[in-house]
Amino acid sequence: MRWEKLGIIFKPSDHNLPYGCTEFAQSPQALVLRDRVRVYFSTRSRDEHGKFLSHIAFVDFEPDLSRIIDVSREPVIDLGELGCFDEHGIFPMNVVRYGDHVYGFTCGWSRRVSVSVETSIGLAVSSDDGVTFQKIGNGPILSSSVEEPFLVGDPFVRIYGSEWHMWYIHGTKWLANDDGSPAERVYKIAHATSTDGRRWKRSGRRLISDSLNADECQALPTVVEFRGRFHMYFCYREAIDFRANRSRGYRLGYAYSDDLVNWTRDDANAGISRIDEGWDSEMMCYPHLVGLDDDLYLLYNGNQFGRLGFGAARLVS
Amino acid sequence: MMRWSKLGKVFDPTEFKGPRWMSEFAQAPSVLEFDDTLRVYFACRPPADSSGQYVSFLGSATVRKDDLRKVVGVSETPVLTLGERGTFDEFGTYPVSVIRYGDEIRAYYGGWTRCESVPFNVAIGLAVSTDGGETFRKVGTGPVLSYSVNEPFIISGPKIRRFQDKWFLFYIAGERWLRGPDGRPEPVYRIRLATSDDGIDWTKLDRDLIKRKIEPYECQASPDVFYLNGKYHMYFCYRYSIDYRNAVRGYRIGYASSTDLLNWERDDSKAGIDVSESGWDSEMLSYPHVFSIDGQVYMYYLGNQVGRYGFGLARLEGTL
Repeated sequence: MRWEKLGIIFKPSDHNLPYGCTEFAQSPQALVLRDRVRVYFSTRSRDEHGKFLSHIAFVDFEPDLSRIIDVSREPVIDLGELGCFDEHGIFPMNVVRYGDHVYGFTCGWSRRVSVSVETSIGLAVSSDDGVTFQKIGNGPILSSSVEEPFLVGDPFVRIYGSEWHMWYIHGTKWLANDDGSPAERVYKIAHATSTDGRRWKRSGRRLISDSLNADECQALPTVVEFRGRFHMYFCYREAIDFRANRSRGYRLGYAYSDDLVNWTRDDANAGISRIDEGWDSEMMCYPHLVGLDDDLYLLYNGNQFGRLGFGAARLVS
Repeated sequence: MMRWSKLGKVFDPTEFKGPRWMSEFAQAPSVLEFDDTLRVYFACRPPADSSGQYVSFLGSATVRKDDLRKVVGVSETPVLTLGERGTFDEFGTYPVSVIRYGDEIRAYYGGWTRCESVPFNVAIGLAVSTDGGETFRKVGTGPVLSYSVNEPFIISGPKIRRFQDKWFLFYIAGERWLRGPDGRPEPVYRIRLATSDDGIDWTKLDRDLIKRKIEPYECQASPDVFYLNGKYHMYFCYRYSIDYRNAVRGYRIGYASSTDLLNWERDDSKAGIDVSESGWDSEMLSYPHVFSIDGQVYMYYLGNQVGRYGFGLARLEGTL
C-alpha cells in the first residue's frame, strides 16, 4: 500500500460550529451522500467547571473532498442526561446507512472519580440523511462485561451480506502511577457481530497482536473491503508518556484479513507514516477509510489528537 | 391472612465490636443452609472516610438452625476483595445473593464505582466459592450483568434463584436520576428480571416486573422470590425517590405473587409486616429475604437507616 498525503482538509477554527466549538475535529467518519460526502467529527466545548465536553458536528465536502460545501449549524446529537453513559461526550460516532435510515454508533463518555472516564457504545438513528440523530434509549447497546471490564468504545460498523460486524475497543487495565498523576488506560481491539445492529454478540477474543509491548494501546479500528481483501487501519501508542513524546505517541497500524476472523498485523505495509514537519509530524491517529468512486481515501488526525483538524490521504498503489 | 411475628434483631455490627471493616451496617442478608447452621451473608462498612464516603464489604455471620437469632460465628475477613482501580466494584460490594450449585457456591453482588456528576453507579458481578463459602473468587474483572439501552445505570440488588432447571436473576435497574431539594442526585430504580442457562450469559426480560404504587418515581428494591404451595411469592421493598431518609417516606415491604415468574400481581396488603411503634425497625423496613427451615418460613430484614444497626428476624404465622 502507498498513500499520497493531501494535507489538512478541515480546520475547526475556520468555521462557526454548534456549542461555540473552535478547537478539535477528532475522528472523522464519512457518510457518502448523493451529492456530497458528510464527515462527522468530535469537537469540544467546556462545561461550567472548565472541563471538556465532546460534541458531534459534521462538514459537507464535494464528492471528491476537493471543497467544503458547508458545516452543521445545529447540534447533530444531544449528550446524555444526568448519570448516563454519554453525559460528558460523544467521541467518535461511526455512521452506517441502513435502508432509509442512518445508524450512528456512538462512543459515550462519562467521568469517574478514581479514574478519569468510562465509555460505552450507544446507538442513535437518523431519518434525515444524518442531519440529526435520535438515540434508541438512554443506555448503551454494548457496555462492560466479565472479560471486557471497562472502556468499551470506538465502534466501527459494517454490514457484509446479512451480518453486521462491529470492530471496537475495550480496556484491559488502568495503570496507576506512583507519583499521584492520573491513572492511564490500556485498551485493545475486539469484534462483535449482530443481525440487526442492536443486539451484539462478542467474538470474545483479541484481534490484533501487540507490536510495542503488552501495554500497547490500540484504538479506532477502521475496515474496508478492497480488491478482494479486508484491510484494517487503527492507531496505537505507548500507555504512558504519549502526549508530548513523539517516540511514544500515536501512529497508524495496519492489518489484513481474508475471512474477517483472522487478522495479520503488518504495520510495515501501512504505507503512511509521520513525516519530519507539518501538521502530522508528531502524531497520526483516529484513521477512517472511505471509498469515493474508484479511489480509497484515508481520513485521520495529526498532532495534538486532532486539536487543529483532520486531513486526508489517497491510495496511489 | 399472612402475618409475620417479629422475633427481634439478630445481628448489630455497632454492638458486635468486630473488625474495623464491619463497624456499621449489616445489609441485604442472604442465607446459605448447612447441616446444623445457616450462614448469613451481608454487606458491612468501615467508618466513612474524611470526605464522608463509604466502601462496603461482604461478610457473614453463622447462626444455629434451632435458634436463628443466635449468632455463633462471624467472618474475620471480607469473603470477597474489592475491585482494582477503574473496575466496576472498586468501592463496594453490596448487596449480595448466594446460592449453592453442585459443589460450588455462587455469589451475585452489586459492585460500586464512583462517578463525577452522580455519586455512584452499580453493576452486578459474580464470584464463586469452592471452599464451602469461606472465600469467593470473581469470574472476571468485569460485571456479568451491565447496562443496556433501557437499563442505563444502577444494575443492582441481585437475587439469584434456580427454578425449572433455569437461572433467574431478579434485580433492579435505574431509570433516571432526579435532583433532590438540596441538589443531590437521587436515583429511581425498579424491579427487573433476567434469565440464563448457565448463570453467566443473561437475557434481560427488559420490562418492569412490579407496578408502582405510591408515586410515579417509586423506588423498588430487594426482589426476593420464594416458591411455596404452587405459587411464587415476592417480597420486596419500596420507598419514595426524594426525601426518603425518614419514617414517612422511607422503605416499606411490599408483596407480589406469580404463577409463571414473568407476570406478577402486586398486593402489599398481603405483606403482613409493617414498622413497629418503637425500636430498631420503627421507621423503615427493607431488604427482606425469605427462606424456610424445617417447614417453617422466616424472613431476615433490615430496620431503620437501611441496616446501619443490623438485621432482624420474623416468622410467618399461617401460610403463604
